[in-house]
Amino acid sequence: MTTHHAASQTPSPTHADAGQAAALVTEYFARAIDALADWKVALAANIATLRGQAPLTTASLDTIVEPAALRLFDTVALPIYGAGFIAALDSLADANSHLAWWQGPDRARLVLAAQSVNKEHIDYSELEWYRVPLATGEAHVAGPYVDYLCSDEYTITVASPVHIDGQFVGAVALDLLIDRVERDLTPRLSALGGDISIVNGVGRVLLSTSAARATGDTIRGDDLNGFERYACTGMALEVLIPRG
Amino acid sequence: MTQNEGMSLRDAAPRSGRPTRLHSAVFQPIGDEGRTALVERRIAEAIMGGVLAAGERLPAETELAAAFGVAPATAREALMALRGRGLIVTRRGRSGGSFIADSADPIKFASRALLESSRVGLRDAAQHYLAITAACVELAARRADVSEVAMIRARLERGDAALVGENNVSHRHSHDRDVAAWRRASDDAMIEIAALSQSARLTREQMKLQGEFSPLFALVDTHAPSRAASRARLIELLSAVSASDGDAATRALSDGVRLAVDWLITYRDEHLAASILPIAVVTAQPTAPRSERIPT
Repeated sequence: MTTHHAASQTPSPTHADAGQAAALVTEYFARAIDALADWKVALAANIATLRGQAPLTTASLDTIVEPAALRLFDTVALPIYGAGFIAALDSLADANSHLAWWQGPDRARLVLAAQSVNKEHIDYSELEWYRVPLATGEAHVAGPYVDYLCSDEYTITVASPVHIDGQFVGAVALDLLIDRVERDLTPRLSALGGDISIVNGVGRVLLSTSAARATGDTIRGDDLNGFERYACTGMALEVLIPRG
Repeated sequence: MTQNEGMSLRDAAPRSGRPTRLHSAVFQPIGDEGRTALVERRIAEAIMGGVLAAGERLPAETELAAAFGVAPATAREALMALRGRGLIVTRRGRSGGSFIADSADPIKFASRALLESSRVGLRDAAQHYLAITAACVELAARRADVSEVAMIRARLERGDAALVGENNVSHRHSHDRDVAAWRRASDDAMIEIAALSQSARLTREQMKLQGEFSPLFALVDTHAPSRAASRARLIELLSAVSASDGDAATRALSDGVRLAVDWLITYRDEHLAASILPIAVVTAQPTAPRSERIPT
């Protein structure tokens, strides 16, 4: 949208503020990326051992993923809503696809109806949290998006690819609800003063300290010219501040 | 809390005076539908909606219980009820288990539900579907990235590819399957567009309505020209969302819904006319229940 509201009372944030905002956002999501990086080393070793004994199945995968996934909830300083491992498509003996996933207030195992009842192939090959880590080999902050597969909520998924001998076997990931991310980050960004927005790779607003910019809206094309942009290192997020 | 501390339902009212409509809605009966009935209904709806197809095997009782988060006894009772309704059959032996009955044809269920509904009920349901879906589509048109719509379109066209050889009438069975695959691809596309609204609430609501309408849309799909027309509207809708044209997108949506509902009403009228009952019998019948229960 091109409607620009009258200049806010507070002065535009400075370069230093923007740099601080970017550092703050980067540090927040890096907690997830770092925790996943630690986990995936151990998980890759576990899967390799398991595969050496017998073909990998959904059940054997669940057994090794569960304790580590549940541990993430308690050890990472983030409001984790869901966590687990997404198997590479066609990598298991008894299913085409599998999400070994625990989520919600009860940290319950995710049971996808289509998968458990229909034994249907869930094709997540094009979903951002699978597609990008697979393609880049790097961790990725995916979203915000409405997660109609798992949480049914407006979500960010941080996902990191797992490789064994260079072969992609799946991704470890965790979900954060935007509702919680907003509560964590907005007050800290507001404290820097002025109008600060965090957008993702397609210009979608993750959150903003300005009341005029709604989460979910997209800033793109010519509208972007009105902002100074600061990249968050290691993730496809940017800090936008209006040009003074 | 002691008993006299609780508010009396009769004079439950805000301090400002008369109870508001929303206030009285709080004390609407919840109903005593138990967990067994809930599980039964969930599976029955999936069978009648064609999500679970004839011949498919249901998970074992314990697995089912875990999936629904209920006790195994509850799952067992629900399965018994479904068996009683003829929706599933149970076979013994090594390859035994519960299977969706071969007679379970979602098109027949949809057709029966349609004949039991009224025009006004159908139009009202369609209006509800349209209102929610249009809100999603409009937001999606404003918020979606071109690349996101392109992915939905590509997936839809893959679901569509199965239908390309549809002139080949000699393979009727595989044609039916392809029509069902198209319906699924088309339902998925609608839900994915809804999700591009970035509204979790609207998406959840839309998914529910899509599930409700899918069997009726599937009935429309059996008529090739109508299927082609609704497919054209869907492609138009996607192009409009991609072009950030919310007006054109909602127009394509409402054209598509109107097309489907008009066809359904014509279908309903024709079939009712064909099976018209003597007036004496009709008046003796109780009002047709909205329940999906099948006489056994």
